[in-house]
Amino acid sequence: MANVLIVDDSSTMRKIISRSLRQAGLTVDNVYEAGDGIEGLNALGSSQVDLILSDINMPNMDGLEFVKQARAQGCKAPIMMITTEGGEDIIGEAINSGANGSIRKPFTPDQLQEKLGGLL
Amino acid sequence: MSLNASVMENAHLQEEDMARYIIDATKEVFSTMMVMEVEDHYPLRDPVTEFHCSVTGMVGLAGSYTGILSVHCPQVLALKITSNMLGMEIDEVGEDVNDALGEIANMLGGHVKQVLSKGGLDLNLSIPTVISGDTYTISAVSEDSVIIPFQYENEKFLVGLNIRKEY
Repeated sequence: MANVLIVDDSSTMRKIISRSLRQAGLTVDNVYEAGDGIEGLNALGSSQVDLILSDINMPNMDGLEFVKQARAQGCKAPIMMITTEGGEDIIGEAINSGANGSIRKPFTPDQLQEKLGGLL
Repeated sequence: MSLNASVMENAHLQEEDMARYIIDATKEVFSTMMVMEVEDHYPLRDPVTEFHCSVTGMVGLAGSYTGILSVHCPQVLALKITSNMLGMEIDEVGEDVNDALGEIANMLGGHVKQVLSKGGLDLNLSIPTVISGDTYTISAVSEDSVIIPFQYENEKFLVGLNIRKEY
C-alpha cells in the first residue's frame, strides 16, 4: 500500500487521477490533494508520501518550482509530471529539476499502470 | 475568417493541418477522459461572438505567439461532459462544470502548444478561464481564427483557436 500526493490546480483532474489510479489496479492507501506547488510542499511537510503526481502549469507555484523545492527539502519520493506540456525541453527541465518522468494528459488507466506500476 | 498566414508559415503548417490537429486532439480528449465519441464538422466561415446558455473554457498562449484556445458548449452538454469526467451525476452549472471546461481547454491548449513549439519553452499556457451565463459575448474568436464545430448526439459545441505572431 502507498500514499500518493496529487498536485493539480484542477479539482476535476485530481478526482480523475485518483479514480484512474484505482481503476489501474494500483495499490493506493491514501490520496492527498494539493491545488498548487505551495500546497504540495505543505502536504509533504505533514504527510508521509510514497509517490507524487504533479501538474506543471499551476498558479502561485508551478510544477517545475515545486519539484525543485521538494527535492531541496529532501523529498525522496518519485515525482511524475502529469501534464498537457508535452514539449521535450519543458519535460527535460522537469527531469533536471528532479522529476522522474512524465505522463501526458489525456491518459488512460492503462497508461497510468504502465508508467506507475514499477513505482508503487 | 482564417488563421494568421504568418503564424502558419512560421510553423510550416497549412491551416488544414492545424484544424486537423485540433480535431484529432478534441476527439482524443473527449474519448479518453469522458468516453464520448464526438463528430467534427467543417470549420465555420464566419466568426461566432455571442453565446446563449453556454459555458466557455479558455486558455491563453503567450510567447513567440499570442492567442487563445477556447471551447464553447451549451450548458446541457457541459453538464454531460462534467458528469462523464467525474463519474457522477452533475445537474447544475457551478464549480465542477467550470473546472471541467477549463481543464478541457487546458488539454487542447497543450496540444496546440506542442504543435507550435516543439521544445515547449518559447510558448507559455495561461491558467484556464471560464465564462458561463444566459447571454455573453466573446470577441477573441473574431479574426485570425479557426472555429471547428463538433457534435455529440444532438448537441453541438465549438473549439476555436485565435493566434497571432509576436514580433
